[in-house]
Amino acid sequence: MTIHIPETNLRKALAAGRLRAVFLLLDGHYWLYLGAILSLVLSTLAQTVIWLLLAWFADSLLAGIGAAGAPPVASGDLLLLAGIFLSLAAIQAGFSFNSGRLAARAAEGVALRLRVALFDHIQWLTFRALDKQQTGDLLQRSTSDVDAIRRFFSDQALEIGRILSLFVVNLAAITVINPPLALVSVATVPLTVVISGLFFKRLEKVYRRYQEQDAVLSTTMQESLTAVRVVRAFARQDHEREKFGRENLERFRLGRRMLTMYSLFWPASDLGGGLQHIAGLVVGGLLVLEGEISIGAYIAYVGILHQVIWPIRELGRLIIHFSTGIVSCQRVLEVIGEEREAEDEGQAPERALRGELEFRHVGMRYEESEAALEDVSFSCRAGQTVALLGATGSGKTTLVNLLPRFYDYSSGSILLDGLELRDYSRGWLRERIGIIEQEPFLFSRSIRENITIGVSREVSDEEVFAAARAAAVHEVILTFPNGYDTVVGERGVTLSGGQKQRLALARTLLRDPKILLLDDTTSSVDTETEAEISAALNVLMQGRTTFIIAHRIQSLMRADLILVLERGRIVQRGTHRQLMDQRGIYRQVYEVQERIDEELEREVSHA
Amino acid sequence: MPEPTWFEEEEFADVLDGRTLRRILGLVRPHWRHVAGFILAITFISVLESWFTFQGKRIIDEVIVPQDTAALRGILINYLIIVIGFALGVFIFIYLTGMLGQRVQYELRRRLFNHLQTLSLAYFDRTPVGWIMSRLTSDTERIAELITWGLLDTTWAVTNMLAAASFMIFINWRLALVVLAVMPVLIAVALWFRQKIVLQFRLSRRINSIITGALNENITGVRVVKALTRERANLREFRVHTDDMYRASYRAHWLAALFLPLVQLISALALSIIVLRGGQLALEGALTIGSIQAFVSYLIIMLWPIQDLARVFASLQQAVASAERTFSLIDTQPELVDRSDAFDPGSLKGDIEFDRVNFQYEADKPVLQDFSLQVRQGETIAIVGPTGAGKTSIVNLVCRFYEPGGGVIRIAGEDYTRYSTHAIQSRIGMVLQTPQLFSGTIMENIRYGRLDAGDEEVLAAARLAGADAFIQRLDDGYRSGVGEGGVLLSTGQKQLISLARAVLAEPDIFIMDEATSSVDTLTEALIQQGMEALMKQATSFVIAHRLSTIRRADRILVLQDGRIEELGTHRELLRQRGHYYRLYTRQFREEAESKWNPWNGATQAPALVE
Repeated sequence: MTIHIPETNLRKALAAGRLRAVFLLLDGHYWLYLGAILSLVLSTLAQTVIWLLLAWFADSLLAGIGAAGAPPVASGDLLLLAGIFLSLAAIQAGFSFNSGRLAARAAEGVALRLRVALFDHIQWLTFRALDKQQTGDLLQRSTSDVDAIRRFFSDQALEIGRILSLFVVNLAAITVINPPLALVSVATVPLTVVISGLFFKRLEKVYRRYQEQDAVLSTTMQESLTAVRVVRAFARQDHEREKFGRENLERFRLGRRMLTMYSLFWPASDLGGGLQHIAGLVVGGLLVLEGEISIGAYIAYVGILHQVIWPIRELGRLIIHFSTGIVSCQRVLEVIGEEREAEDEGQAPERALRGELEFRHVGMRYEESEAALEDVSFSCRAGQTVALLGATGSGKTTLVNLLPRFYDYSSGSILLDGLELRDYSRGWLRERIGIIEQEPFLFSRSIRENITIGVSREVSDEEVFAAARAAAVHEVILTFPNGYDTVVGERGVTLSGGQKQRLALARTLLRDPKILLLDDTTSSVDTETEAEISAALNVLMQGRTTFIIAHRIQSLMRADLILVLERGRIVQRGTHRQLMDQRGIYRQVYEVQERIDEELEREVSHA
Repeated sequence: MPEPTWFEEEEFADVLDGRTLRRILGLVRPHWRHVAGFILAITFISVLESWFTFQGKRIIDEVIVPQDTAALRGILINYLIIVIGFALGVFIFIYLTGMLGQRVQYELRRRLFNHLQTLSLAYFDRTPVGWIMSRLTSDTERIAELITWGLLDTTWAVTNMLAAASFMIFINWRLALVVLAVMPVLIAVALWFRQKIVLQFRLSRRINSIITGALNENITGVRVVKALTRERANLREFRVHTDDMYRASYRAHWLAALFLPLVQLISALALSIIVLRGGQLALEGALTIGSIQAFVSYLIIMLWPIQDLARVFASLQQAVASAERTFSLIDTQPELVDRSDAFDPGSLKGDIEFDRVNFQYEADKPVLQDFSLQVRQGETIAIVGPTGAGKTSIVNLVCRFYEPGGGVIRIAGEDYTRYSTHAIQSRIGMVLQTPQLFSGTIMENIRYGRLDAGDEEVLAAARLAGADAFIQRLDDGYRSGVGEGGVLLSTGQKQLISLARAVLAEPDIFIMDEATSSVDTLTEALIQQGMEALMKQATSFVIAHRLSTIRRADRILVLQDGRIEELGTHRELLRQRGHYYRLYTRQFREEAESKWNPWNGATQAPALVE
């Protein structure tokens, strides 16, 4: 069963202040978290009541010892008292457990929602937004930052709550016993908080330097290990040892410095806390002597005092930690703030796609750069092949990327089967368009899954085999250790460029797209494979509108329409024959390639 | 190159066995003074802690109940002594423990790093750098933690409980025995919980790594995911993992949240016993009221370590797994060791001969078979062939990164395993396909070729290698930093620098693995110039991808499946119209097209053949 995630709009947190934003992440879990905090306070309260009860017990006991005859506290009463202690302890324990449980649920809920939201959001980011992102950075934000937020709610915020509630409840209890005593008991607490805050802030600086040196050391090791061939080829092991030794020693020195700070702070704070403790004990004792408070009250006070003085030292450390949660929250929200593709906007016609295209004065520009496409107009009938020729950066890939709406054109119009392309839903279009890239991306799943991943329906083995056969890769797959169940990338199964391409081909065949985009498909494979792939491609292209990007004339001369692109504009168009009859760049490219072949032949024959 | 095999992470036990424990203690032995010092300090602190509480009893029994203010003075002095002594003790133990941790880390890292320098290259080909890095960084940290805080927490737990127990027995041994009877129950519960919690957290860590993998793939392949409209299906699959994670992680935290309350509940039992039994004793006059207060306080003191126990043991277990992994690295033996009578011939000038060499990285996967080749001194051999044909293996053998499985390699007529590895490798100059530089200046990087070279010699080498011109154009010239691994420079620039580095080394054997990626024409010409300089002075092996390099070689070796397919001069091989011919024509077209690009207006044919 899928765990329910309460609906929320994370973008709300985007607009809020940094600290508020963190707590807005709790949306849907507010009651849980409130319950956690409340349980915490109740648990502390029960604990304090135990102490107060102990005070009453001691007083009764003393009265009993003093009085002759029948003691006011009988054995039966003692049993009752023990029972009450146990019940109170049970209440304390129950609430304490409840607090941890609820906080964990809220924190896990927040983490679950963030993980899912990030995973989903990244999938739906626009290509423009994706172009700005770095893989490692996105990964870090979806893993360690989410975890930092989880810890913020399950540990840090709760721990601060615990310390504060201990302080407040117990201080209140002391006030009930004797108000001036309360004042004496916490006289130095503000000072402790301030000093520990200052200390941890300073410590953070030294810690950062230590971390930096740690990074330097890591870099030194990493470089040395990565370049191990160079180290060995020059026989520089001693040099590496020495370099490493230097950085290692520096890290040791900084570590020692940090340590010295620690080893001065803790005893100092122990001394401060200890003196405060003694002051409380002595003043409390004097108050008993003066008859201001009872002995029982004093005994309770001794126990409670502990809870007021010592935990507060941790506050400084925790508050500094608070900032990491806030920073992580901001980093996560930055991703959520990136632009996302609307999932279902646009129409998804019932009828089949024919694949008739018309470009009318299409222009497109990426962020603020010069136009990537300008005034591009052409049309093709369903099932025709359009080839694009041009130098790197001439706009071939940009043009092709418009069709699945990876990017939207900024001016002009594109008509697909007579309807404006922008009005189709992206999902509908992409399901009907097949793309084979120069270096296809395969998933680390089984070969079978890689072939069927493009279709949502159940696929029979027969169909998978047929697709693989058509892509001329069936025989190769059978030679793998586990055949179709071989997982790509595992246990030494590495696929060559040609094999990857044929798998991508089989994947596309199964999708049965009406429009096909081939991006320089045969350029990175060797001659023999090229022939096989070409044959498979020709089968695939039957009856589909196909766009070919290529740089060898040979791969595109059979196209129905060849467009020659230069700086985003069409400079020549026509069939191979028509273009050969014109003076222009197409013929030049052709001639250059011819001449290269001649030159080669000449060289070989002279050898 | 060896087939990039799937690296299998061994499962390392996290149960402490005697052998591992002994080895961990072995790391501590040199610092036994530190250990003795901090154990003493902790014992001292534990006793003071209990004594402090005892003074509380005295206030009640000696000052408050008998209304005697005079006794307060003595108690106050005791208090002051305790607090000051306590601070002193804390200072000593934190300092000593911390220092021990830092020292152990420092030494362990040094030992590991130095050990790595002795391992054979085969080890590095098998083991991902990331794995080794984890041993050097996080694992050494965890071991240090185990030794310091693990030892400290355990000592503290023991001394703390012993001290509190002793004071309790001293005050009233009968009541003490009843209260202490609860302790074994508490400890048993704590240990049982430890087991449960550790297992649950391990499960959630495992799921977490699955989640990270799924995320990683989806982010790197996001464009394909979108093109295939897999978004909804992928999210559905991902939800299964995240839900598993939610359940596992929640369960782990649920258990952890249960632990402390349970300890408190059981200790409340002890509290009730104190009230019940202590109350009776007090009524009988056998126990003072201050003693009851003290008993309650001691009970609380004894609970501290137990509350921590589960946490401490969880981290201990992780540390034990770290220790096992780290020791496994230390135990790895170099596969190639010099013979005991290995010597340094002084020079490696002379012919190089492969005599019926067999070679394999993994059993039953031969890379080279019955491979024989004679190379004259000063000759340049271009090695060509498809991926996996064994090109890199030949280079690896020449450098003696690996040794032949069968047959002999002779340098200057002598089986090269008779020379010391250092003698061979210190006379080799190498330029890799992806040039490896080190953080630091350009000057330092070139000097890596010969550490005692003066600035002038470095400059001369750079000039000879064709690197000088671009270096001069940089803002800081030779003092410019190259960034981590050389990221601040382009591939071509990195190659020029590694060429200069090789030139400076004045090698007898020069090895180059040409980059496949294209560099601009000018840089390309400079690289050729640098190679020329090196080929002149040394016997050279070049894994060649460019026509100009291939043509410049004295002989071309065409490899196919670990065998020599063709061997001869450029002209001879072209005439054969075999493998070389096909490789050559393909490369010819590619290079001609990129040089002779009509798009740049260059329709005039540049000289392709000189």
